[in-house]
Formats: sequence, C-alpha cells, structure tokens
Amino acid sequence: MISRLLKVTLTEWKLFFSDPAAVLLLVVAGILYAFYYPTAYVNQTVVRVPVAVVDLDHSAKSRELTRMASATQQVEVKAVFNDMLEAETAMAREDIFGFMVIPENMEKDLLNKKPTKINIFTHGAYVMLHGTIGTAFSTCALTVGAVSKVKAIALSKKVPSAKAMAMRDPIPISIQTMFNNTGSYSNYVVPSVLVVILQQSLIIGICIMGGARGHRRFRRNERYSEVENESMPYRYLGRSLAYFLHYCCFILFYHCFIYNLFDFPRRGELLPMMLFAVVFLTSVINFGMCLSQVFLHRESSMQLFLNLSIPILFLANFSWPSYLMPSWMVGLSYVLPSTFAVPAWLSIEQMGGDIYDVAPKLYLLAIQSVIYLVLGMILTHLRDKTHFKTGDM
Amino acid sequence: MLKGLLKTIGKIYFGHKIVLWMILTILPVGVSVFMLEMFSSEIVQHVPIGIVKQDDSELANKLEMALRSSPVLDVKVLCHDMSECEHAVIRGDLQTFVVLPYDLDRRALRLETPVIPVYSSGQNYLTNMFATKEIRAVITDVGEKLFTASFENPVKTEIHSVGNIEGNYQGFLALGLVSAMFHLAAMLVAVYIASFPLRDRRVREFYQSAERSWLTLAVASFVPMTIIVWLEYMGCYAYTHRMLMPMGFEEFVMVSVAQFLMVVSCVGAGMAFVGITGVMRIATGVSGVIGGPAFAFAGQTFPVMAMPFAVRCFAFVLPLTHVLRVQSMMLLGDVGMAESWEIIKLMAGMAVFWALLGSFTMYLRWKYRLSHDSKLPVVVDDENPIDIEKTVHETSMRHQEAKHD
Repeated sequence: MISRLLKVTLTEWKLFFSDPAAVLLLVVAGILYAFYYPTAYVNQTVVRVPVAVVDLDHSAKSRELTRMASATQQVEVKAVFNDMLEAETAMAREDIFGFMVIPENMEKDLLNKKPTKINIFTHGAYVMLHGTIGTAFSTCALTVGAVSKVKAIALSKKVPSAKAMAMRDPIPISIQTMFNNTGSYSNYVVPSVLVVILQQSLIIGICIMGGARGHRRFRRNERYSEVENESMPYRYLGRSLAYFLHYCCFILFYHCFIYNLFDFPRRGELLPMMLFAVVFLTSVINFGMCLSQVFLHRESSMQLFLNLSIPILFLANFSWPSYLMPSWMVGLSYVLPSTFAVPAWLSIEQMGGDIYDVAPKLYLLAIQSVIYLVLGMILTHLRDKTHFKTGDM
Repeated sequence: MLKGLLKTIGKIYFGHKIVLWMILTILPVGVSVFMLEMFSSEIVQHVPIGIVKQDDSELANKLEMALRSSPVLDVKVLCHDMSECEHAVIRGDLQTFVVLPYDLDRRALRLETPVIPVYSSGQNYLTNMFATKEIRAVITDVGEKLFTASFENPVKTEIHSVGNIEGNYQGFLALGLVSAMFHLAAMLVAVYIASFPLRDRRVREFYQSAERSWLTLAVASFVPMTIIVWLEYMGCYAYTHRMLMPMGFEEFVMVSVAQFLMVVSCVGAGMAFVGITGVMRIATGVSGVIGGPAFAFAGQTFPVMAMPFAVRCFAFVLPLTHVLRVQSMMLLGDVGMAESWEIIKLMAGMAVFWALLGSFTMYLRWKYRLSHDSKLPVVVDDENPIDIEKTVHETSMRHQEAKHD
C-alpha cells in the first residue's frame, strides 16, 4: 500500500522537473520571489527623506527650528524657500516629498505668548513618507513649543525649570515597540508576502499539473502508464504527498536561509512551526486539488490567480485590518488558507507565539483542509468519469 | 482589408472565449472595484487596544475614559496583567496595550512624572502608527490639564496631505493598486491573445481570415484589447478618484495619456514574452513574475530612492513606476501638470520600444508557426479545429484492435 503511494509521489515529483511551466512555478518562483521581494526593502527603513522648509519668519527661532529639522534622522532639509509656490514646484518635481511652513511673526508671537500654528505639507500619494515627514517635523515644532511653554510656566508659577517641565507633562508615555522595534518595512511586508507566495505558487502549480486527475492528456507519453491510472485515493494522496514534501523544503529554506540572509527575526519554535506547516500545506494542497478540477486549460489557473494575488494578500489582514473591511469580504476571505495562515505565521515566526496562541487559527486551517480534501476527492472522481472534448487536461 | 480585419476580430474576440473575456474585463474591473470596497472605511479607526490597569485612581479612570472615547481606538480588553495583553497581541486580538502603573495618580500629583508604558506591535506598520500617535495625543491631553490647563500650547502643528486632504486610504493606496492591476492585466491579456493561436494551432486560420496580411492580423489581435483595457482603466481610475480632490479636464487628459502609454507598453511586453518563449504557460509565468509584484517596486509604498541601485533600475524599467508618478503629480494640481510632461515623453519612448519589440518577435513567431503548421497533416475547419492527439490515439487503438482480430 505504502509502496503504491510512494510510487505515485515519486513519479509526480519527477514530473515537476520535466515540465518547464511546473518548474517555473513550483521551483523557480518560490526561490526567485524569496530573493526578489526582500531585495527592494534591504535598507529596511526610510531615512533622510528630502524635504524643505518655507521660512516666512526669518528669525532666530525659525532658523533654530530649521536646524532641528535638519538634525533629525528621518528627513533631510534640502532647501529653505521664501514662498510656498517654490516648495510646491519642488514637490511636483519630486525633489522633495514634503515641507514645513514657518509662519510670519512666529518668534514674535511666541515671545508675546500668542499661539502660533506650523503647517506641514506632505505628498498625498505616498503613505509611508506622509508618516515619516509628519512625525519628524511635528516633533521638532512641538519641541520648540514645549521649550516656550516650560519657560512660561516657570516664570508665571515661579518654579524651577525641572518642576515646570514636570508640570507641563506630568504623565509622560514611553512607547515600546514589540516584535519589529526598528520599524523595518521589510520585516512588516516580506513575511506575509512569503506565505502568500507559497500559497499562490502551490495552487497554480497543482492546477498546472492537473491535480489528481487521472489520464492527464498533456502527458503524451505516460498517460497510459500504471501510475497515471492508479486508483483515485492513491493518486490523490500520493500526488498530495509530493507537493507536501516539496513545500516543506520551501518552509525550511525560508526559515533557515532566507530569514537569516535578510535578517528577519526567527522566533519560531519547532512544534508550532511543524504544526503550521502540516495544516497550512494540507489546506492549500487540497484547495489546489479542488480548483484544478475546474479549469479546462492548464494556463487558466495562472491567469486567474495572478490577477487575484493582490486582493488575496490584502484579505490576509495584511496592511489593512480585517475589522475595517465589509463583512461580506471577511466572509469571503474564509475560503482562502492565507487568511488564517498569514497571521498564524507572523505569530509564530515573528512574535514567537506558542501553540496556544496560534491554536484558533490552526484549527480553522485544519477544518479547511478536511473540507477541501472531501471536496477535492469528489471533484476528482467526477472529473475522472467525465469526457471532455476541449482543453488540454 | 476592412472585411478581413473585422472577420479576424470576430474570430479572435467572439469565438466563445470565456477565459479571454474574463481576464480582459471581469477580473481587472472586478478586482479594482473589490479593492476600493476593501478600503471603503477610508481611514484607520477602531484599532483594538488593551489596558492593564494597575492603578484604580481618579486619574487612571480619566485616562481610561479618554482612551475609550477616541474614535481611532477601541478598548477591547482590561487585562489582569501584562502577560495576558502580550499574548492577545501575539494572537492578533490587540494591536497595542497601555499600562497604567501603580500609584499613577499619587506620583503624578507629586510631580514625580510616572511613565506610562505603551506596548505596540511593530509588525502591523500602519495600525501601529495610528494607534501610538492617538494614544500619545490622548494621554498628553489629559496630562496637560492636570497643572497647566490655563496654559495654551504655544505651537500647534497641522499636517496636510496635499491632494488627499483627509488622508483617505483610497487615495494613498487604491489608486496605485488599480494601476498595478491594469499593468498586470494588460500583460496577461496580451500574452493570451498572442499565444492562444499558437496553443490551439490556429495561426494559419487567423492568417487566412486576415487576408494573408500580418499587419491586419496584428491590428485585429492587439488594438481592440488595448482600447478595451485602456477604457476600463480610465473608468476605474475616475471611479477611484471621486473620493479625492476633483481633477480638471486637462489633468484627466494627461493622466489618460500616461495610462494609454502604460497599457501599450505592457501589451508590447506581453507580445514580446510570447514571441520569445512561444508557449502560453511560460509567457504567462514570466508576465506574472514581472507584473505581479510590480507594485512593490513602483515606489508608492516604499520609496524608490530608498531601494538598492539594481532594484531602482528595475523600477525604472516598469511602466507602472512612471504612470504612478504622473498620477501622483496630478494630485498637486497645475504645478504637477507642468512637471509631468517629461515623464510622458519617457513613457512614449517606452511604449514605442515595447510595441516594436513585441511586434517583431510575434511576427517571427507567427511566421515560424505558419511554416511549421503547414507541414502537419492538419485540416483546419473554420470553427472546429481537429484534435490531432485524439485522432492519433483513435487510429492507434483501431490499429491495435485490428491486430487482435
């Protein structure tokens, strides 16, 4: 029994390497993307974003503020302009991505204890730069304001400056960033993307290979072979095992090599990692096995799933939280293994979550696996019995 | 010639091609609308946070109430200890938790400045940014009112996102994602249209219906799809843009030109992939590898200037990078329009290059297949091409049966 199963597994594994399209998806894509994606973010954070200051005050205080902005790590003051139009033109040329407007009479107003407002403008199309520039400029401006306020408190309440500082901010906060404390963009993006890459390449790869279908027409020379005409459960489970073992290698490769190479945190413990690999891969393989029975042509799965990659990534609670999505969309996302796999993987590998932390998501993946296994077997059985005139499957 | 052109268009586009219409219309438009719906709440709000309330004083209650009343935050749990909240963060139930330490009120009143630790998961970049900023604002506001309520803050700041005043996420991301969708879709559709005659062995059939003119065949194959993808793209872009500042007619024309050039470049690239590989599966795979992650390299999320040199070169080659630049420049109004001409010129050059390369490689490929197919013993009917494999199989079966008899 086992030898029959292993024979199917081995034959399927050999077949990956004899079909260029399958090699591209099941071997090359997984390796190439693992290097391709993180390379863009190898610098991890955005520093020294080019910005400008529009100084309408021309005072000692405004120059101090400009110097403070120049000294921050996040931005680099490229120019000091005298009017806003110059700054807007520079922003349109993308010489700068934001600017701070120091209003006229700022110093005078501060000395007269009148409030003053500093406007910060960022480019509306770049989400990351908006945050970086906004934080850098407002920190500088608020620091100048804080110094003035402390002076005012000390003078009016007749207290020492240390006490005045405590009165200004009696309950300071200290923000501790857990798990990605450098604010690295690659730590944020790449681990989620890697899981989606595994899922997408595996699903498309299975569809390209025709899933568990017997007597595959594209295998011109071997379609009448013993393995190709093996009974359905052996064919289904044997081929699934080939994909499972192949992708276990990928998970190991990512964990041991890619994570090391690109310096991603590796907090995953062995047991949760193994359980994750089992339930995630079985869920994706069975999902792929179901879908492979739907397409008439091998390429159709590629055309569909390549188009769906972006929504699938966003449905996995990546970047945009699921509680802000419409409920029908959240319901739809439950069909996809990545919806549970991406948060589970992040919990295990990035945050060092134990088995109890990820259990709810792994249960859901396991339920998906069982449902897709039953569905996949039924669809394969039906497909084996159907004669199709069109398509190359 | 016109008759041949129309006949070929009819054969290519209306020959029961469900997959073609799916990837040409349903998927790009459907996915674009889907992405817009995803960001329909527009801004980040209700970020789940937890509170570890070690102090049960008036000040701690005041802080808790202030955090609860913030629209950006949603206090989900009052944890008994830090470990409970920490595990909730690992499970993904919480984004952040605030610890209100022992003796907070007493120490604050004695001006001992008790620090309030805020623990936030950096793994969720966006929600982390919003949550920590809001918590800081809320706590600072409460703190300021303790001793210096009569002192106004001398400096106030206001951050404006130019062209996207409300910091709408549809503006930040959806415009770029819609462009990325059509960038990929144009390549995939071009690959499909260029390669299905090769896959189905119908080059000779199409060539004959195009009255033996390669030019007619190329026009019939690629011009309708280019126009359809472009119109869809413009429609989806206009629909997405309705949430942002209104665009002037000239700005819309400028963006449309850039979008057209992007579509032409992508169609040319798709043709070139088929021309070079000759197989639909491989050409689709290549398009997917290049076009799929293009958005990550185009600079809208992570700026191109912060990428390594080699990646910057790759980003420069992608038409998406340039169309996103034109689109973002239009957010700045007239000033942006003047600057976008240079990019349009660059994109025009890119479109011409890819169109010529695609046409040349496809011409060679079609020509080769025509001469190759003519050597095969295949009789091609207008609508139903004969299945060679099936015929060969049936013949061999008959031969074997005859042998047995």
